[in-house]
Amino acid sequence: MSTDSAIYVYGIVPGDVELEESAQGIGDPPAPVDIVHEGDIAALISVIAADHALGTPEDLQAHAKLLDGTAGVAPVLPMRFGAVMTDEDAVAQELLRDHHDEFVQALNALEGQAEYLVKGRYDEGSFLTRLLSEDERARKLSEDVRKAPEDASRNSRIALGELIANAIESMRNADTKTVIDGLAGIASQVNPREPTHEWDAVHVALLAEVERQHELEEVVSRLNKNAGGLMKLRLLGPVAAYDFVVTAKAEG
Amino acid sequence: MTTAIQPAGGSNGPSGGPSSSSLADVMDTILDKGLVIDAYVRVSLVGIELLTIDARVVIASVDTYLRFAEAVNRLNIAEADPKAGLPEIVDDVTSGAAKSKTKGVLDAAGEKLGGLLNQEQPQRKKATRVRSQREDR
Repeated sequence: MSTDSAIYVYGIVPGDVELEESAQGIGDPPAPVDIVHEGDIAALISVIAADHALGTPEDLQAHAKLLDGTAGVAPVLPMRFGAVMTDEDAVAQELLRDHHDEFVQALNALEGQAEYLVKGRYDEGSFLTRLLSEDERARKLSEDVRKAPEDASRNSRIALGELIANAIESMRNADTKTVIDGLAGIASQVNPREPTHEWDAVHVALLAEVERQHELEEVVSRLNKNAGGLMKLRLLGPVAAYDFVVTAKAEG
Repeated sequence: MTTAIQPAGGSNGPSGGPSSSSLADVMDTILDKGLVIDAYVRVSLVGIELLTIDARVVIASVDTYLRFAEAVNRLNIAEADPKAGLPEIVDDVTSGAAKSKTKGVLDAAGEKLGGLLNQEQPQRKKATRVRSQREDR
């Protein structure tokens, strides 16, 4: 293998997984996806140019799409975006052979399961309307802000904003707990994620049997009904089990 | 047993099933989670350059607070206080309301772009070095 090419690694799958011809990798035009076998496992890879700059939106989506498409039908251990090795021999030996049993064990543990995400945001208008109707102090601060000129009301506005931020956080904690309770019995593992948006209501990753996806859909739709417009939850998945793969030994 | 791989879009779930992942959904996941290759192999990286992709972290600040307060203001204006006299309404519309609404729209647009490109977000991290706080899980 010449040194001006490199191997991009998407993830690790059982050795009996086969590629569909339509599978597309990262890059523009999309690199073909290939498979490197070693023992009972295999790695999904693409050959890319060594000076290839990674990280366009298309690259990110290609990485996710390939692994998520796999996750619905076979167990897959996803690599974090950007895993690159020198050549196919390195993938086969250093990655697959040296960690063979560990990967087999992890793939067996995932058999039949995939990751799903439940996420949603509060509706700003509904949330604030409800807060103002229930919280005396919020109502008073809001009056102050409305009556005073902008310069004079700065402290009130900060106090009101802080009150809202705290209200969102405590509501978020309560709703996250409600969602996790609702998933009990269906999810084998749950990982609440940090919020990535200030209006985030719920952001929970879970591992569940792909066959029970319809039960997840029912839970989410029931929770949405109960929320009465205050928040709208979405169910994403099946995706590769990013939240539940464990890196056995970390160096540095 | 043989299993085929197909693009995620190809397998149709039942209608009303899970929604597909947006770029923002994808970024939350694949830049922050998954197996880290340098934990497994010692000499792995060649001269590959990762474009800088930033992960957003939500941190409440005075800016956030002021934005929340502004949202309340928009709400108040939308509810059109019945006790307010005409001059007050006109005044609101010409100064406060129009200005704050425009800003709200701009904020929203900026946020969308920010979600994709993160041009002006605090707490920047390079994709190569994003580490989850729950990495040890």
